[in-house]
Amino acid sequence: MAEQIEAAALVAVVADFLKSIEPALTGQQAFHAKVASNAMAIVARELTLKPREAEAAALGGFLGHESGLDALRAELCGRLRMGQLTPETPGLLEALTTAVLAKVAVDNPRYSTFKRLAGG
Amino acid sequence: MNEDDVQRLTAVLVRAGGVGVSVETVTVLTGGASSATYAVDAVRDGAAWPLILQRAAAGEVVAGGFPKADQAALQMLAGRRGIPVADVVAVLTPEDGLGHGFVMTRVAGEALAPRYLRDEKYAAARAAMTGQCAAVLATLHSVPLAEVAGLALAGGRTAAAREQMFERYRAYGVESPVFDMAFAWLAERCGDAEPTSVVHGDFRSGNFIVDEQGLAAVLDWELAHLGEGAEDLGWLCANAWRFGNWQKPVGGFGEREELYDAYAAAGGARIDRARAHMWEVWGTLRWGLSCLQLGHDHVSGRVISVERAAIGRRVSEVELDLVHLIRFGEI
Repeated sequence: MAEQIEAAALVAVVADFLKSIEPALTGQQAFHAKVASNAMAIVARELTLKPREAEAAALGGFLGHESGLDALRAELCGRLRMGQLTPETPGLLEALTTAVLAKVAVDNPRYSTFKRLAGG
Repeated sequence: MNEDDVQRLTAVLVRAGGVGVSVETVTVLTGGASSATYAVDAVRDGAAWPLILQRAAAGEVVAGGFPKADQAALQMLAGRRGIPVADVVAVLTPEDGLGHGFVMTRVAGEALAPRYLRDEKYAAARAAMTGQCAAVLATLHSVPLAEVAGLALAGGRTAAAREQMFERYRAYGVESPVFDMAFAWLAERCGDAEPTSVVHGDFRSGNFIVDEQGLAAVLDWELAHLGEGAEDLGWLCANAWRFGNWQKPVGGFGEREELYDAYAAAGGARIDRARAHMWEVWGTLRWGLSCLQLGHDHVSGRVISVERAAIGRRVSEVELDLVHLIRFGEI
């Protein structure tokens, strides 16, 4: 056995636990247990897929330099607000598509638009 | 709702329905921070009288919110024009001691969109709903503004409305390149039109009561405002309200061209495709801000809830829809 149980293993066992108690719950509690087990599934995907790295690569690739994700997002937002970038700027929509696909792959890979764009 | 409130509610219903009225049970359906909705099972002269009570929970009107009494008045006006709505039974007065609000009839039918969008039982309803929605909107949008001059309807010019939405986004302190891109896209296209119509503001699958013949009631008039009629058509087509039936752009049940044609046939304006697309982007962005708001409720500690926190993760779905709409011209 590993010295320490990995985060992904903890998340998986909590998700299983939530599923197991769901039938015993009713009303709001049952609903929230379902939402909670979906939230655990998001965490599990985030641990594996590392979406922040993928998003930073897409945005940094467009801007032409590397930086932390929060700084890259803020720079893009600032330049769009100033009108230095517009929706017509070549490459912008493609970079945003790649960045957002990385997020939705974690948040909800069953989403219709994700399946249309990623399944392509 | 405590025992005293039930007594107060009974007094209101006796005023509206006569001395033979009693209240059996009151169940909270949805309770937000600004307003709550209750299912009220009353009895009138021995017969069941199913009702809905909507009231501002704290007894206060939220700044910029549409007063409940005016909401009731607009709903009655819509009913007189032939729009299917719940009948207003009583409007609360300050003396009633229940805050602002009103009581209406509980219309029989299905309120859960995934059921009426999927069950075989509602196939005929789905086929009828595009035309019915178009007729409702054409009727609502043709109400002369002079008729609603006494109601505290928000709304203004298109550019100011976009600016307000942008300020709301900035207030959350979130940096979303997709949202900023969409705001820039809208700024180039939304223009600065004067409001011409009463807009329902939340006309979509999820806010309808549906029976086997189709649309039985249009609910939730609390976001009504003055604006451009096409805003309602764009909102109805946002992907969030298709509940997975994305191939049916109109609310998960219909086609755009049928909606536009039926709208014009019922006396509405001819819908320009580019303008309709602009309103779809607008509506999608507006839904994105609602997701931000719900997530922010949790993060800020205003409402700690697993549901609110999880909805915060739906922002990325909306970002993907916005990118798709703007890159490919439709979704």
